[in-house]
Amino acid sequence: MKLRSGLWRLAVALPLLTVPLWAHHSFGAEYDANKPLTLTGVITKVEWTNPHSYFYMDVKDDKGNVANWKFEGYPPSVLVRTGWKKDVTMKPGDAVKVFGWQARDGTNWAHSREVTFADGKKLFFGPPSGTGDGGNTPAVEVK
Amino acid sequence: MRGVATAAILAIVGLSGSMSAQTSPPTRAKTSGKSAVPRTREGKPDLTGVWQGGTTIRGSWEEANTGTGVGGTGKDASAPVVLSSNDRPAGREGAPYQPWAARKVLESYNKRGIDDPAALCLPLGLPRLPMLGLFPQQIVQTPTQIVILYEYMSVFRVIPFRTTHPDDLLPSYMGNSVAHWEGDTLVVDVTGFNDKTWLSGTGTFHSDSLHIVERYTRVDKDQINYDVTMEDPKVLTKPWIIHSNLMLREGTHLQEYVCPENNLDPGYYEKLLKEGVNFTRP
Repeated sequence: MKLRSGLWRLAVALPLLTVPLWAHHSFGAEYDANKPLTLTGVITKVEWTNPHSYFYMDVKDDKGNVANWKFEGYPPSVLVRTGWKKDVTMKPGDAVKVFGWQARDGTNWAHSREVTFADGKKLFFGPPSGTGDGGNTPAVEVK
Repeated sequence: MRGVATAAILAIVGLSGSMSAQTSPPTRAKTSGKSAVPRTREGKPDLTGVWQGGTTIRGSWEEANTGTGVGGTGKDASAPVVLSSNDRPAGREGAPYQPWAARKVLESYNKRGIDDPAALCLPLGLPRLPMLGLFPQQIVQTPTQIVILYEYMSVFRVIPFRTTHPDDLLPSYMGNSVAHWEGDTLVVDVTGFNDKTWLSGTGTFHSDSLHIVERYTRVDKDQINYDVTMEDPKVLTKPWIIHSNLMLREGTHLQEYVCPENNLDPGYYEKLLKEGVNFTRP
């Protein structure tokens, strides 16, 4: 009985120890979780490269001024595993909406999370904010 | 029924070595016995396969990564929460660093891991790499050696079945590994590390005296229990024990990952630090 109880306790606690590791760098070192943004525009270039892929998008403001934004995301192997197809899913000329977080230096550079396509389909181009930067609790006790 | 009981016993036997030294109970699912552990001609568990680290979810890569977490597709928002990289899981004790070393770990945390060796495209080291969830790893087992291929950073380990390490070890990122069986648990002894990697979590540095013992216990067809003991008398006060898992991902193939291809981080970090960036947490 004691054994059964122990196994039950282990099974309940199990999800708490799932620790997939984000790589290749910390979100918080480069991007600001306090600067979420949603931008709509037209894709100008898509780069499937390691350690991160990028896409560039022309964004027009209320006055008609166009700024080119750069968005970072998963490397190619992860993009494929999350449902992307190179040169098919997103191409220059496509109109999309992007949700992400701006770079700490305040330039037109952002970490991309969710891309919404013209037909309403959504895919993640990058991981959630805060990944890989230590979370809310350091590995050691704070004294 | 017999299969269930046998599998449960194997799981407990596999854990017993590490349970005695830890301060919190390991978190392990009851072994289901859904499917038998594949075995070699010699009768040992066969660990061959493509695996995903740091997870307990069964199924193919696509099936197991439907949540909104790191590397997930977001198709199932109710899927189990996936913690990120260097986050400390709820319930895990603080790493047993000596006071001076703990302060150094905290410095990295307060800088949000801007000094992460991974940002330089360096190998992650142990046990960080096997616990990586975003990229798969492939184990190839033969009667004389085990080879582990990691997609992330294209790193490999060739692990012979022997009990002693070579005398002329060059310090390395992944160390020198030798393996033997203890019952149905594969025990891998690793030494010969350099001091350029992190163990598990932001800033968790170590010295070149690091000694790691990994225990791989395949408790059923889908799951390997991965138990790690880290010893480093130069920076730790006692052995640091971590329990994690590898889950079988049938149908997944390792792909190329050439990190230095377009690594913009070092230059960007230099710019941020020069400008005095504020890393304060919300």
